[in-house]
Amino acid sequence: MTGSSQKCEVLVIGAGPAGLAAAAAAREAGADVICLDLFARPGGQYGMQPASPASRFEAVSQVAEGRAAAARCLELGVKLLTETEVFWAEPGFRVFARQGQEALVIEANQMIVASGAMERPIPFDGWTLPGVMTAGAAQRLIKANGTLPGNSTVLAGSGPFLFAVADTFAKAGLRLRAYVELQGLGSRLLPLFVRHPSRLKEAAGLLRGLRATGASLHRRHVVVEALGGQRLEAVRLAPIGGDGKPQRSRSFTIDGVDSLCIGYGFQPVIDVTSALGAEHRHDTLLGGWRCVADPLTGATSVAGLYAAGETTGIGGAGPARLSGRIAGLGAAAGAGKTARADEIARLARQLADARDFAQGLARLFPFPGHLVDELSPSGTLCRCEDVSRADVEAAIDDGAGDALAVKMWTRAGMGPCQGRICGSSLAELVARRIGVSVAEAGCNRPHMPLRPVPLSIAGAALAQADGGCIR
Amino acid sequence: MPRTADAVVVGGGIVGTAIARQLARDGVDAVLVERKAFGGAVSGASLACLGTHMHSLDELEVLVESCALWRSISDELGDPFEYNRCGQLRFILREEDLPVAQRWIDGERAFGLDPELLSPEAVRDKEPLLTGPIVAASHSPGDATVNPFLAVRALLRDGGNAGLKAFANTAVTGLQMDGDRVAGVQTERGSIATGNVILAAGPWSGQLARHADLDLPLVPRQAQCVASVRQPPSIRTVVGACESAGGVESGYTQIQQAASGQILFNTVTAPAATRPGAEDRINEAPIGFVRDSIRTLTMLFPSLSEILMLRSWVRFEAVTPDDRFLAGRLPRRGLIAAAGDNGTGFCRAPVLGRLISRIVRGEAAMPADTLYAPSRFAELRA
Ligand SMILES: Cc1cc2nc3c(=O)[nH]c(=O)nc-3n(C[C@H](O)[C@H](O)[C@H](O)COP(=O)(O)OP(=O)(O)OC[C@H]3O[C@@H](n4cnc5c(N)ncnc54)[C@H](O)[C@@H]3O)c2cc1C
Ligand SMILES: Cc1cc2nc3c(=O)[nH]c(=O)nc-3n(C[C@H](O)[C@H](O)[C@H](O)COP(=O)(O)OP(=O)(O)OC[C@H]3O[C@@H](n4cnc5c(N)ncnc54)[C@H](O)[C@@H]3O)c2cc1C
Repeated sequence: MTGSSQKCEVLVIGAGPAGLAAAAAAREAGADVICLDLFARPGGQYGMQPASPASRFEAVSQVAEGRAAAARCLELGVKLLTETEVFWAEPGFRVFARQGQEALVIEANQMIVASGAMERPIPFDGWTLPGVMTAGAAQRLIKANGTLPGNSTVLAGSGPFLFAVADTFAKAGLRLRAYVELQGLGSRLLPLFVRHPSRLKEAAGLLRGLRATGASLHRRHVVVEALGGQRLEAVRLAPIGGDGKPQRSRSFTIDGVDSLCIGYGFQPVIDVTSALGAEHRHDTLLGGWRCVADPLTGATSVAGLYAAGETTGIGGAGPARLSGRIAGLGAAAGAGKTARADEIARLARQLADARDFAQGLARLFPFPGHLVDELSPSGTLCRCEDVSRADVEAAIDDGAGDALAVKMWTRAGMGPCQGRICGSSLAELVARRIGVSVAEAGCNRPHMPLRPVPLSIAGAALAQADGGCIR
Repeated sequence: MPRTADAVVVGGGIVGTAIARQLARDGVDAVLVERKAFGGAVSGASLACLGTHMHSLDELEVLVESCALWRSISDELGDPFEYNRCGQLRFILREEDLPVAQRWIDGERAFGLDPELLSPEAVRDKEPLLTGPIVAASHSPGDATVNPFLAVRALLRDGGNAGLKAFANTAVTGLQMDGDRVAGVQTERGSIATGNVILAAGPWSGQLARHADLDLPLVPRQAQCVASVRQPPSIRTVVGACESAGGVESGYTQIQQAASGQILFNTVTAPAATRPGAEDRINEAPIGFVRDSIRTLTMLFPSLSEILMLRSWVRFEAVTPDDRFLAGRLPRRGLIAAAGDNGTGFCRAPVLGRLISRIVRGEAAMPADTLYAPSRFAELRA
């Protein structure tokens, strides 16, 4: 197989709200821009475009925003590459990708990483049963394909994203059996909306959506077990006690459930920025490990490398768009184009405000890492390699002193997902058992390839690089 | 952390772990200290083939003993590290290289081993998917592999049962000297007074020896590997490149399938110098290396060309001028070296365990003594 190559001044990885905003801004400033994404259609998670124009989501505002942002990029002359998955990046910059079934190498002067977020699941008993899925996956199924997760669905977890998923159910005219939220909220939301009144309308809309699903509401409850033989049949809930832990003695079962959509929030996708050696920090309110970016330019600690959107910390579509635009202007300036200082100052103010709201919400829905303690010893922690909680604890008892050691001795995180799914909970479990912080417990560093890639394609892409054996 | 010990082993790779375990089993009050995670450096990145084939005719006796020790440890401990006597194939791409293979085979046969030269058809009986353009391959039936992570873990646990005290995340930061004899080690978590310090810190052993004003003839060498996503059983043996009479493109190659199903493969065509201090950084597999490794794998096993690459990694071996370990007494009383693996330390670890334990206990020499004695280098003579 041979591959093709392209060059540009500014390369944007990710065509979500952040990436599209970045690409448009850089192009407006006069840079020659390529924006790529592994999905088949631009829009990212938030602005995900349905597979069929006949979808009832076609008119939903998020879809419309995504469509408009992509159209704007095309109109400006941004080169949009879809189904293009970056599997390696080198400083300088040279990016190796799989485009459909072809190899592609892109050389760029400046690079913006807007690779978004991924789910941050917490394993619980029965979570690997067919019928259990993440809230994001359910959202994708409905929005992109119009497929229902099931006929009797429980939506559970914690965080504002659950409202958005419920709203998607409502917009699709679907009903929900139950809505389970770990937090109580009520009056605690008030001060946040007093500070950010402009966000009330959106929140009220989401709440209406939730009501329209007809779900029974279970606040301050969590799912402690998914039950079933071959597939999901029932869900066991427990109320949260004063100590923040589920009270097993008061647990009860919801029967006749065929799908459980569960989500505890997101974590930044930092594979490309980590591979390039940018500085990252662990920040509980921002989803864990995130790439550090300058608020006025989006610049990371690596020259010519910028980051935007969820990659720089979980905050949702608003901060994503704003930080994207900032990074686009920053990268264009890096490529020698002039950006307007007044616009940057305004964007930075808006971004600070949007981030403040996002962090306010994050404070109300802190990531409940402690729930991993509820997993029973035989419960699965790493589903790729079928590693149980007891396996992990046995490794720690044998002298494993951090997440890397546990990974080596149990294979947790060594399967096809490379710890994307279990990594955060593994670190949590190790930290709790050994008595160190989650950040100290360590993270799963990305290496070549950042995502699994067929040998034929990797070989063809790498063959275009002239590099000798040691670069 | 204990305040005193009979012996302190510095470095919890396979070599240090094997030594510490042996010391404990031999009744020595031993402490093992590892800077980070046990087996987290090159030992946990290893393909861990235990073999006698095409290694070193001078070391055959030691290799045979070490391979037998690995097997008996596996039997004794109840198969805790996926010991697999899968045999090893060394492929030959050019007629000119047949005599090279034959020389190795003759040398090993004279020692009582049973390697043989196989035709491509006979190779396919052993390795059905190896359909690439080879002219022949040598086969050594007794060679085996182990799971490198679990091997470290099992030896550590067995040592623990015999009284070994082991500490992860505990770097040795200095050596305490009393004139020309070692008196103890300083660690991040306090000092341990001891009359015996064993430097089994791989490429970092040189830095430690400098605390005793010694320069060890050791340099780090980058070594790396690629892994695929788990596959159904596809490769049965360890497939390596035969040494070449000159200019073989395949260079150094090793390909095998782990018990997990992952295919592990690496090809180095042009070994290059490792930058000083590289062992202290997080390094990425060079692009040319990954490209060459994919080329060789898919040239030999064309049916694997669409499998998914999952991961690559880089670690550092410690290399000596004559490709042999530096294992034995250094010219400071109580200070003992056990480093200089030259890329094949997994295989030799159990023998080194025995050797070092004998030295610590003042027992009679064994063959490995003369082979690996640091005093073969003038600067390390007392
Ligand atoms: C499953 C899921 C569902 C979500 N649903 C919503 C929702 O309904 N509403 C909401 O407000 N927020 C949602 N979010 C949160 C969402 O992440 C943000 O609101 C918003 O999409 C962030 O914009 P972004 O541009 O930073 O990231 P994203 O929109 O995630 O865009 C990042 C893009 O980068 C691409 N990418 C990443 N790595 C590579 C690579 N190596 N090669 C090529 N392309 C790459 C991805 O395919 C993706 O399209 C969801 C998040 C997830 C994970
Ligand atoms: C891809 C690959 C394939 C290989 N294949 C084989 C094979 O098939 N067969 C074979 O025999 N060998 C093979 N090897 C080589 C083998 O892995 C090594 O020779 C062996 O693991 C060396 O072990 P070690 O204990 O000497 O080194 P290491 O594993 O590097 O152990 C040294 C330890 O010392 C610790 N340390 C360093 N400084 C300090 C300090 N100041 N205080 C405390 N601790 C310290 C380090 O953290 C490290 O854990 C392969 C290697 C690689 C990379």
